[in-house]
Amino acid sequence: MPLGVAEPSLDEDVATDRPWVVLVWNDPVNLMSYVTYVLQKLFGYSFEKATELMLQVHHDGKAVVSSGAREKAEIDVFRLHEFGLWATMQQDD
Amino acid sequence: MARWQFRPPVERYRDGFRINLDREERDLVVRLMRELRGLLLGSSDNPLLVRLFPTAYHLPEHAAHDEEYQRLMREEIVASRLSGIDTVETALQEPPPLSEAEMMALVQAVNGVRLVMAAALDVDEDHDPDDIDDDDPQAADYHLYAFLSWLLEWSVRALATP
Repeated sequence: MPLGVAEPSLDEDVATDRPWVVLVWNDPVNLMSYVTYVLQKLFGYSFEKATELMLQVHHDGKAVVSSGAREKAEIDVFRLHEFGLWATMQQDD
Repeated sequence: MARWQFRPPVERYRDGFRINLDREERDLVVRLMRELRGLLLGSSDNPLLVRLFPTAYHLPEHAAHDEEYQRLMREEIVASRLSGIDTVETALQEPPPLSEAEMMALVQAVNGVRLVMAAALDVDEDHDPDDIDDDDPQAADYHLYAFLSWLLEWSVRALATP
């Protein structure tokens, strides 16, 4: 980034400290059983925990499935994308 | 009366997994794997691939991050999918059983084909592929989509069974 172009704002400084959350969004293609299984496999969740998250995705449209530093969140998003899940990330509110 | 017994398309045994598809169905899955490989190696603008490469940063303020993610990770996803397809093709043509890693590659790849077909068939919340009329010009594709969903459901069930 060229010097003098970007003006770091106070907001950005504060923003860098906030953790990132990984969201899985509801979609009409991925099967409920498949989503539950992928969440168990990738994050080591129990069947009960993974089912709870899957149902939250199904009923509320999305669920937070993991969180952490930006690099870690990006790896989690990538692993979910490898399995075709609709995953995105954002900084925690 | 002849005794008819349902046999699931995928079963877990002590030494691994067995795929109980007939020859025609097995060839179909292998052919779909080849088609998926062809699509992945083709143009990256192909709208059929849209569900295979979702946005990573959905907020507009992170658009630059997403561009970087797509630039760096897209190739990684293609490579990972191609390697999974190779695994499935080999596993389906070799004598059983399949290992857990091979089954994982199978569910990943079968779901990949479903994601491509869903883009072609415009599957969304209001357009359920299960409610398809036989007169529909895309009926054959919907049946294929349903077959893959069925295979995936049983594959996940076998994998999830301890």
